[in-house]
Amino acid sequence: MSRSGRFAAWWPRGAEHPEEGREPDPRFTFANERTFLAWSRTALALVVAGLGIVQLLPPFPGVPVGRHLLGVPLIVLGAVLAIVAYGEWVRNQRALRRGDPLPRSVMPWFLAATIAGMAVISAIVLLVSALR
Amino acid sequence: MTDHEAIGPEPTDPGASETEDGDAGLALERTSLSWTRTAISFAALGGVMLKDNVITGLLILAVVPLIWRLGRPPRSGSPPSGLPTVGALRIRVITASVVGVALLSLVIAVLGPSVPGALHR
Repeated sequence: MSRSGRFAAWWPRGAEHPEEGREPDPRFTFANERTFLAWSRTALALVVAGLGIVQLLPPFPGVPVGRHLLGVPLIVLGAVLAIVAYGEWVRNQRALRRGDPLPRSVMPWFLAATIAGMAVISAIVLLVSALR
Repeated sequence: MTDHEAIGPEPTDPGASETEDGDAGLALERTSLSWTRTAISFAALGGVMLKDNVITGLLILAVVPLIWRLGRPPRSGSPPSGLPTVGALRIRVITASVVGVALLSLVIAVLGPSVPGALHR
């Protein structure tokens, strides 16, 4: 699929045009909305964690940019997570309207990769800080 | 992930779900509570941000009533089902708000003054 095609697939046409598919059971629509909201709160938590690290943690000895190395990616990933959550909501809503199987979610993978990546960066920063 | 699992079953007739088990009303209530939690999350972040940057904190706090209002169920006079219109607009508002807050936080994190060691005091 081309890049523009992928973008078009995420754009919420199916969620807004009633003629595409039919109105799903309200319970499923609400469940999809709650899932989106839960991911949005997770994104906010990442942003708060990143801001807290940069603003409140003491500097790492020997690693002057250590706090920013940990905090800035968390904030950026929070923003990305919010956008991906929106895309997921669109895809799920479209599948519900069409009666298709729900698409596989990338969110758990994304969050797991984020946490694992941040754990690795934290370990490196702490090790470098301890060795200097 | 309970919420995600709940959308798995095959869609059924909207009218039947309401009349047969009345669960649509609970779904509405759960969703409304979820919106409330989201508004509280924004309020908490805005309150924390007030300590560092008053303007940014106030900007985030200004979003809270909007989110709260978006998540409220309709009053009487709404469609017979009593269910709010589910559209993409309020989903987009939340997404834009989180991204906006993240950008503001990024600016503060990179350019703003920090209080190193504040957690140790």
